[in-house]
Amino acid sequence: MAVALTMVAMKVAILRNSMTGQKGSLIATGGGLGLILVAGTVAAAVLNGDLLAAAYAIWMLGWIFGPVFAGGGDETLRPEYFTLIGLPPRRLATGLLVSAFVGVAPAISLLALTGLVVVGVRQSPLAALVALPAMALQLAIFVLLSRVAVAVLGIALRSRVGAISAGLINGVILAALGQGWILAVALGQAGGLPAGVSATVRYLPSGWGLVAVEAAGAGDWGHTALAVGAMAVLVVLLLAAWAALLTRRAGATRPSTRGRRPMRASTVSGAVLAKELRTWSRDLVRTHQLTFALAYGVFFTAAPLALGWNGMLPLAGPIFIVMAAAMSANVYGIDGTALWLTLMCPDAADVRGRQRAWLLTVGPVAVTLTLAFTSVTGGPWPLVLALTPALLGGGAGIVVLMSVYGLIPGTDPHRRGGNPLRFTEDDGAMTGQAYAVLALVALTGAPAGVVAALSGWPGVAVGVVTGVLCFWLFGLLAQRRLHSHGPELLHMMRTGKRPPAAPGSRWGRVRFEDLPRRERIVSVVCWSTGAIPLFPQGIVAGAFKINATSERSWFLALYLPEALQWPVIVFMVLLGLSMYGLGLWLPYRHRDRHRAGTASRGDVQGLTE
Amino acid sequence: MTSALEISGLSKTFGDKVAVDGIDLVVPQGSFYGLVGQNGAGKTTTLSMAVGLLRPDAGGSRIFGADVWTDPSTAKALVGVLPDGLAMPERLTGREVLTYLGLLRGLPRDVVAERAHELLAVLELDEAEKTLVIEYSTGMRKKIGLAIALLHAPRLLVLDEPFEAVDPVSAATIKTILRGFVAGGGSIVLSSHVMALVEQLCDHVAVIDKGRVAVAGPLEQVRGGQSLEDTFVGLVGASDLGAKELTWLSR
Repeated sequence: MAVALTMVAMKVAILRNSMTGQKGSLIATGGGLGLILVAGTVAAAVLNGDLLAAAYAIWMLGWIFGPVFAGGGDETLRPEYFTLIGLPPRRLATGLLVSAFVGVAPAISLLALTGLVVVGVRQSPLAALVALPAMALQLAIFVLLSRVAVAVLGIALRSRVGAISAGLINGVILAALGQGWILAVALGQAGGLPAGVSATVRYLPSGWGLVAVEAAGAGDWGHTALAVGAMAVLVVLLLAAWAALLTRRAGATRPSTRGRRPMRASTVSGAVLAKELRTWSRDLVRTHQLTFALAYGVFFTAAPLALGWNGMLPLAGPIFIVMAAAMSANVYGIDGTALWLTLMCPDAADVRGRQRAWLLTVGPVAVTLTLAFTSVTGGPWPLVLALTPALLGGGAGIVVLMSVYGLIPGTDPHRRGGNPLRFTEDDGAMTGQAYAVLALVALTGAPAGVVAALSGWPGVAVGVVTGVLCFWLFGLLAQRRLHSHGPELLHMMRTGKRPPAAPGSRWGRVRFEDLPRRERIVSVVCWSTGAIPLFPQGIVAGAFKINATSERSWFLALYLPEALQWPVIVFMVLLGLSMYGLGLWLPYRHRDRHRAGTASRGDVQGLTE
Repeated sequence: MTSALEISGLSKTFGDKVAVDGIDLVVPQGSFYGLVGQNGAGKTTTLSMAVGLLRPDAGGSRIFGADVWTDPSTAKALVGVLPDGLAMPERLTGREVLTYLGLLRGLPRDVVAERAHELLAVLELDEAEKTLVIEYSTGMRKKIGLAIALLHAPRLLVLDEPFEAVDPVSAATIKTILRGFVAGGGSIVLSSHVMALVEQLCDHVAVIDKGRVAVAGPLEQVRGGQSLEDTFVGLVGASDLGAKELTWLSR
């Protein structure tokens, strides 16, 4: 036990040191969200047992699959730290297990498990008493299942086949969770939880605690003992499995000795492209990410087939693109300090090469998916053909932009531990970034999607245009950022820490008053009047035209000959957008100039950002 | 004649810790310059700032007269850098890394192929033709790093701990290459905490202590008749260290 207690003390010390600034607030946010889920679970406990059992099944799935998204789960204490001490695997696993109970997630889960006590209290005092050990065992099962799942995945990711199958399974299960409404509809048709489901969720390990409490309430002590005993046995088995997996993990990986195709590039951009494409195909983590996105896209859209509806199939391609972007958003971060080479060759267009490699990797699969699945349903062609280019361009733009503006420092590939899913120390931020990218990339498809939904084929043109624009513009912004902040980004990777955010950091450096007078005026005009072409003259006029409203109001386009109406509407929208863009860019450009000026005098203010 | 490297007033503070505190150094063309200091003295921070990998709080750096921060294209084309412990394109083989970087530096394809072949052979990395850099040992990583630094035939080499973890045979090869480079008119700055190595290779030396230059100049002048190690220990004020023994280790 001494080993376990030492490890707990160690973990508490590490957590205390990392509970500062951004990370602290992130943990607090996560804890807050968890508490909402706890409230829901306890409410389910008050309502009925079936619901509670289902809720615990979801908690269990969360423990098993959460780490796939959260960079390999909680690795505050790593097995590698203790390899030289020579602990027997079982004792190492026990120590790590005990320390695994220290943290926010186990605390939240324990609160959710008080639902068992609620059920017990409603039945009998003895049942409430049984609920206490049931809670502890149930939590142990959750935590251990999570550890074993991560360990199995870690070993799977050492081979290509393993990486692909792990991605496949994870994608399918996550898609199934996302399509839970289908289950709900099916249940609605059947009228409440059918007997089969209510039995199944109790047979799952997540339901055993509830079975024990309910049996105690009914005075059926044989079943109580059976359920509690089964949980205890499962804990022991999982612990043994984890201990065995830990010894495998600490072993060395086999070096690869396959033949390699020679690099045939002969230009600067070709070289970057060749490097990136090789990284995509050789890094098993990236293979896993892509397979995951593919499986998710396919099964998410195929799930409604269970209800006899194929209407989601055409969206498989677009969903795959968005998911692939979210998984690969930290593209500079996962290369770690290799950024120094990019900094030493300031004239090489690294950003563009990465964008093209991303497109070449994701694009063909996405296009094939889109074409194949849409032919199955026979349409809607305009919508999918509008979304695909828009999202591909948007993804290729957002991925690089996000990874330089929201860089999450990755662990250098050659210094990563035995857990290949763990490529950063900041997994909370990593998850947040994935969600942000999901939303942002989906947004880049919005204009094309809206136009295609309203008026059909013109949407395709909009999709191509916004796709190209996003690729070009976001790439340009990323390139600029890399030029102006390269050393800061490298320093972040070296230290593994994001600097604490200064208040108003992004724009705070240049106050509006600091702009030269001419730019100040232009900026004010852009901000105050940009809305006019964008909204009334552009979007609203377009909506009126689509709905064939006879009212023309003050919408310029609607007074023109028919042939000119759409071009003018599009022009107005673009004009509005560019005015806002200019309004943003002027202070930004000034800020960069401001910094360049001070840098050469050796007074670098930008560093504090 | 312009200096190969001219560092003026470089300063850097991390949080409350002053890592580099106003360092001035002039590396003449054709010199083999050693930077020595204890762990944490500020050698790596200084070299990172000198080549433009870390932005200084104050001060600047010029490579053959080209300012690293305002004219990075010119400055960075003239220098080859071997940083300590940074990552590389890890999923490429040694030959692919050199091809990639050569093209990135704007060299023609056949020149890249020829130089890569020669570098891999001389550094004895050609046997590991199919091995990805991520699978290299620490010593092999140093050697491929040196190959990267030499590939575009720079006029100045900035090497951070180039001999750490390198086996004696490879070290001898590297020394020969470096001496040849200086004999051919190139200039080298290297950092190390192995005094004997610096004495053996360098003609100039600077001792860095607590972020400042304690002494700098031609080797003979700096050591003034005694060994560099004695000079160094005297300068950084740790002469009584020998007295601290670990009593519980002896039986």
